[in-house]
Amino acid sequence: MTDNSGSASKRFPSLFEVETPAGAEGWQKLYPYYAHISEERRPFEEGKFWFFDGMHNPDPLYPFDMIMTENWWVAVSQMSTRVWALPPAIGIDHRVINGYLYISPNAVTDPAQIAERAEYFARRAGHYFENWDEIFASWKTKAQACIDELKAIEFIPLPDYEPEHSVTSHAGTYSSLDLLKKYNRLIENMLTMGSYHFEMLNLGYGAYLTFREFCQTVFPGIADQSITDMVSGIDILLFRPDDELRKLAQLAVDLGVDEVILDAGGPSAVESLAGSEAGQQWLAALEAAKDPWFWYSTGSGYCHADPVWMTDLRLPFTAMLGYIKAIRAGTDIRRPLEKILARRDEATAEYRALLPTEEDRASFDSLISLARKVYPYVEDHNFYVEHLHHSIFWSKVRELGELFVQNGFFEHRDDIFYLHRHEVYDALYDMLIGWSVGTEPRGTTYWKPIITERRSIRDALARWTPPPALGTPPETITEPLTIMLWGITQETIEDWLGVDASSATEFRGVAASAGKVRGKARVITETDQLYDIEDGEILVCRITAPSWAPVFSRITAAVSDVGGMMAHTAIICREYGLPSVVGTGFATARIKTGDMIEVDGNIGIVRILEAT
Amino acid sequence: MIDRPHILWIDEPSAVGSPLLGGKFSSLAQSVAAGLPVPMGFGITTHAYRDFIAAAGLADEVRRVRAAALTLRPEAIAAETRGLIEAIHTAPLPPALEQAVRGAYADLNRRTGETATAVAVRSSGESEDLAGASFAGQYETYLWISGADAVIAHMRQCWAGMFGDAVLSYRHEGRVIAAEGDFGICVGVQRMVQARAAGVMFTLDPLTGDRSKIQIETCWGLGEGVVKGDVTPSQFLCDKVRLSVLKRTIAAQPEEYRFDADAGGVGLYPIEEDRREQACVSEEEVIELATLAKTIEKQRGAPQDIEWAIAQDGTIAVLQVRPETVWSNRPARPAAMIASPIDHVLARMSGKAVATAGKAGQ
Repeated sequence: MTDNSGSASKRFPSLFEVETPAGAEGWQKLYPYYAHISEERRPFEEGKFWFFDGMHNPDPLYPFDMIMTENWWVAVSQMSTRVWALPPAIGIDHRVINGYLYISPNAVTDPAQIAERAEYFARRAGHYFENWDEIFASWKTKAQACIDELKAIEFIPLPDYEPEHSVTSHAGTYSSLDLLKKYNRLIENMLTMGSYHFEMLNLGYGAYLTFREFCQTVFPGIADQSITDMVSGIDILLFRPDDELRKLAQLAVDLGVDEVILDAGGPSAVESLAGSEAGQQWLAALEAAKDPWFWYSTGSGYCHADPVWMTDLRLPFTAMLGYIKAIRAGTDIRRPLEKILARRDEATAEYRALLPTEEDRASFDSLISLARKVYPYVEDHNFYVEHLHHSIFWSKVRELGELFVQNGFFEHRDDIFYLHRHEVYDALYDMLIGWSVGTEPRGTTYWKPIITERRSIRDALARWTPPPALGTPPETITEPLTIMLWGITQETIEDWLGVDASSATEFRGVAASAGKVRGKARVITETDQLYDIEDGEILVCRITAPSWAPVFSRITAAVSDVGGMMAHTAIICREYGLPSVVGTGFATARIKTGDMIEVDGNIGIVRILEAT
Repeated sequence: MIDRPHILWIDEPSAVGSPLLGGKFSSLAQSVAAGLPVPMGFGITTHAYRDFIAAAGLADEVRRVRAAALTLRPEAIAAETRGLIEAIHTAPLPPALEQAVRGAYADLNRRTGETATAVAVRSSGESEDLAGASFAGQYETYLWISGADAVIAHMRQCWAGMFGDAVLSYRHEGRVIAAEGDFGICVGVQRMVQARAAGVMFTLDPLTGDRSKIQIETCWGLGEGVVKGDVTPSQFLCDKVRLSVLKRTIAAQPEEYRFDADAGGVGLYPIEEDRREQACVSEEEVIELATLAKTIEKQRGAPQDIEWAIAQDGTIAVLQVRPETVWSNRPARPAAMIASPIDHVLARMSGKAVATAGKAGQ
C-alpha cells in the first residue's frame, strides 16, 4: 500500500480485453461508429486512461440518449481545446464499452503550446471573470429563450389532406418538411442548450478549485464540505422544487385537505380533491407550482428513463405526505434559511480568524469572494439545463415517439429511444415517404424486430458491472472537471488499482457529507427500485441524484460508486444532513441489499460489517 | 499566616492566577474558575516550600547548588546536589506546615467521602512559565498516593525534584532556566481519576501548526504512557470549526498504565485481547473532547496543550492546561501572496505553480 513506485507500472485492463456479456452480442449496433474502439487505433486507445462515467450514465446508454454524451463530448471539449484554450488540458474523449460510457481526459504537454494557449486563455477567461454577473444574467435570458423555443415545438399527426391555408398561403412547403424541420430544430435546440451548459462551467469550477486549493494549503486536510459550505448559496434553484412541496403541504393543512391527501396516500389524491372547493384550490396551487418546478428529474437528466416529477407524481407526493405528517406533529418544516446563512457566515469567519497572517486573511477574502461570485452559476445551471430543459426535451421526443406509434413503426412511444438520433432521422424520412406516396412505409416492419433485439441486448448489458477504469493510468490529472465532478485524483486511481473488486469489504471514496452511521444496505440499480426503500436503510447506488430528495428523508446515509464532491448529489446530501460517501468505485458490485454496512462520511470510508 | 498560606485549594477564588501555586496549579485553578471539569485538589504552596527551606537552614545550600550547576556538565551535577536532596528528604517539617498538609488531606477525604483518597502528587514550579519554557517531562508525577504520610513523603520528593540534574541543566533558548533565579515550587495534590482512557490534545495540528485543527492522542488507562511516550497513542485529527473528526489512526495497544491493588501502585499491565485493537474513546467522546479543547482555547486566547482523562463512567476530566509552545513562538509567514484573485485563478488553471512562501519552519 505504501509502495508508490508500483503504481506507475500497474495498469487497468485494456479496453480490448473487455468481454461482451452473454446475450449482448452485437451491442455495437446500438451506437454510432465513432463511439467504438477500433483495431486501427488500438495503440492510441490502449495507451490512454479511461474511466467509467457512471455519474451521468449509471445504466447502459439508450441509443437515442447518446445525444447527451455526444453533446458534451463536443461541448465540454471545445471549451478547453478551442474556446478558452485551457493551457494544460484539451478535450475529454469518449468511448462506449458494453453500452457504458468511458471517458478520457487529455493533457497538453508541449511547453511551447502551453505558453501559446496561456495567452489566449488569460485574455478570454479573464474577460468572463471580469464580467461574470452580467454574462450570467444574459445567460439566464438565453437559457430561458431556448427552453421557450423547445416548449413551442409540437409534434402533431400528419394530416390526411394538407390544411387549406397551406395552399392559400402559397407557402410551397407542407407538413412533411414542417415535421422534418421540427425534428431538426429539436436536435439543434438540445445541442444549443448543451453548448450553453458549458459556457461558464469550467471557469466556475476553476475559481472554486483555486479557493479549495488555498484552503487545503492553509488548513491541510480540511473536509471538502467545509469548503463548499463556505461558498454555496442557500437560495439555489435546486432547492426550489422541494420548497414548493413544503409550501403545498402547509397549504393542504391550512385548507383542511390534508386528511384527504393522507388517505389517498399518493397521486390518486388528485381525483378525491377535485370534488371540493378547498380541494380545487389546492389543485390550482399544485398546477401553478408544476411549471417549472416539477420539471425535476429523479436522475442526472441525461437519461430519458429517469422519472420526472411532472409526469410521475409519486415522488413529490411521497415527500408531501411526509411533510403533512410533520406539520400535523407540530414540526416547522420550513428550511431555516436565516439559520443556515448565519451558520455559514459564522463558520467562514471562524476559519478566517484561524489564519496565521493578515496576508493570508486578505488572500482568503479575495479568493472566497471570487468563488462566491461564480458559484451561483455552478449551482443554478443544473436546474435550467439538466432538469428543466432536458426533462422537457425528453417529453418532446416521446411526442415524436407517439407519432411513430400512430404510423405503425413502434409498439410504444418509448421505443424511439432504441434508435440513435440519426436513425430517427432516417425513420422519419421513411414515414414522410409513406405519407407522401400513400403506401405502407418499410419502417412499419423494419424497426420492430430491431427494437426487440436491442431491448434484450440492453437488458443483458444492464446486468453487467462496468469496471471503474480501463487502460493506462496517467502520470498526473490536470483537467479540472475530472477532479471536481468525477472525483478522480491520483489517490482514486491508486485505490482502484489496489482493490480487488470481488473480495473488497472496505471502500474508499470521497467524503461528501459528514457523519457516521451503521445500517442495512438497499442497493438501487434502477430508478424504479427507489420505492422499495424502507425507513432507516442506507442507500447504495451507482449515483445518487439530487431529485431523489424525497427518499432522503427515509434513509440514514447514501453511498455511490461514482461522483466527486461537486456531483449534483453531494449538495443535497449535505442539505439533508446525511452521511455520504461518493465515488467508491465498487460499492454496488459488492454490497448486497440487506448487508449491514457502516458509512463514514467524515473520511470517506464504507465497510461491509456483515454480509447477508 | 493568612498572607503566607501553606495550602491553597484550586477551587478557592484567590487561587486563580496565584503565583503561590506555580504555573501548573494556578492554571488549573483558572480552569476550575472557568467551569472546566477539573478533579478537586489543593496546592502546597511555594510559601510552604520556602518556609521549609528556611526552617531547615538550606537556603544558602540551594543558592550554592544552583550557581554551581551553571558551570557543570549535566553528569557532574548529581555529586553536587546529593547532600541537599538528602536534607530535603530528612529535615523536620515546621509543625504548622505539617499540620496544614495533614489537615488539607483530611478535608479532601471529607469532600470525596473516602477514607484514604487516592491522589496524584506533582510539582508545579514557578520557573515553568518563564519565557515559554515548558519543562516538559522534567518533573516527576506520583500517582495513586494514599494517606497523609505518603502525601508528605511525595511532597518531599517533589521538592527534591527541583534539584535533579535534568531540571538544573534544562535549557531554553540557550539559557539554563532553573539556575537563573531563586525559584520556588508548589506541590499539587489532586484526586486521581480512575481513567478508562486518557491522553493529551493540542488546539492546533502539531505537525503543520494549522490552527483549524485539534489533535487528540488517546490511550487505554492512565495517560502517563502518552506523556512519557512508551505507549503508542491512537490519534484523532478534528476540525476545530465544524467539530468533526477528519482523520483517525487507531493504534493497537498491548499494555496500559493502571493502578494495581496487589502491587500497591501504578504500573504498565497487559490489556485483554479483545480490547487491544479497539478505539479507547467513542466518536461522541472525541467530539466532546474537541469541543472542550475549543472552549479552553477560547477562554485562554491562544493555542493550548491539554491533558485529560475519561473516567470509567464516561465523565471527562481536565488534568492540565498549558500554552502550546512550539508553533506559538514561531513567527507566522503567509502561505501565498495573492494580489489579484482572477490572475491567481487563471495562473492555477494554466497549471502554473504560484510562489508560496511555505509554512514557517518547514
